Amino acid sequence: MSSTLIRRLHLYLALFLAPWVLMYALSTLVMNHRAGIHGRPAAPWTKERELTYEGSFPPNAGLRDLSRQLLDAVDLDGAHSVNKRPDGTLVIARNDLLVPRRVTYTPATRQLVVERTELRPAAALERFHRRRGYETGYLLDTLWALSVDVVIVALVFWALSGLWLWWELKATRLLGALGGLAGVAGFAAYVALN
Amino acid sequence: MNFSHFNRRLHLYLGLGLLPWLLLYGISAIPFAHGQFFQKRDEASQVPLWTVRLEKTYDAPVPADATALRAFGRTLLREVGVTEPNFGVNRPNRNTVNLYAFSFRHATRVTYTLDQRKVKVEDRRFRFDQFLTGMHARGGFEQDSLLSQSWGVVVDLVSVALVAWTLSGLYLWWGAPGPRRWGGLTLLAGAVAFMVFTVCL
Repeated sequence: MSSTLIRRLHLYLALFLAPWVLMYALSTLVMNHRAGIHGRPAAPWTKERELTYEGSFPPNAGLRDLSRQLLDAVDLDGAHSVNKRPDGTLVIARNDLLVPRRVTYTPATRQLVVERTELRPAAALERFHRRRGYETGYLLDTLWALSVDVVIVALVFWALSGLWLWWELKATRLLGALGGLAGVAGFAAYVALN
Repeated sequence: MNFSHFNRRLHLYLGLGLLPWLLLYGISAIPFAHGQFFQKRDEASQVPLWTVRLEKTYDAPVPADATALRAFGRTLLREVGVTEPNFGVNRPNRNTVNLYAFSFRHATRVTYTLDQRKVKVEDRRFRFDQFLTGMHARGGFEQDSLLSQSWGVVVDLVSVALVAWTLSGLYLWWGAPGPRRWGGLTLLAGAVAFMVFTVCL
């Protein structure tokens, strides 16, 4: 019974998380060959929209309150970081996975400029790989962070359940043990020497 | 041996050979995903992360181009007695050169301040979470040593293995008539969820 359960859990977890596994594999390849694949200069910003922001801000509003209000005004609310330049200009980096945007608000002129970069698959994969954490305060990001935790648990589970399933196959025990031992020895050598 | 048998063995032996890496990438993703927790926990200990090993006068011209800067960095590390096999170098402004030399277990940073003609060498205290994240993030082919470059090859191998496990796993699932329907639904649910994240995040 336990073997059947482990086998099924190993399988169904993998079926559900297959897109995550493929994404992490492909993005790792991209990042491992970063210099060759996307060593070219960063994608330029292109102006998408420009408008005058007519709204007003609540007194004593924090930086995050301002950025959320501005993003909401241009229908771009979502995970972002915000910086305030010495002249008071707010620069908001909207962390869209596929097409990141930059929103710049100049208080003196009330001008709001939305810029975007071009979609580059290698850079998008890298953004996917690096997206994590529960700090953004947005539900979708929290769910994504949860899915990352599930992938973490699944990776460990696949390794351990794989060992269990291998041990049940008597025909592969010797060769599998040799393969496993070679892997452990290679890994230990890297840790010791590198 | 037919294809089905080969596929099953490939799935298994790849897993056994790369088991330490699978566990490494799984476990080391925890401090990445929960970085604030580990950072706060370490800060609570109030033990400085970096310790000054050496400060001395140093005066040498810094080259402008990236290749020559790396050669300069290599020389500087040798002159201050830093032996970690891998390093990165950057010049954030005209007055500063930063070097970061590292192995899986140690990290040293070297700061050369040109206007003060001073070089400072600091060692990082061992932290298990940083040991894990350091191994996780290690890759590429920019370092000089063969061992470091071969790690880059292993990273490629693990990536290809992840794709192979996915595809061979799909083949194994399809070959087993029992779980086809529920498996198909699970696969579809995962694909839809992932698409939603891709479009909406």
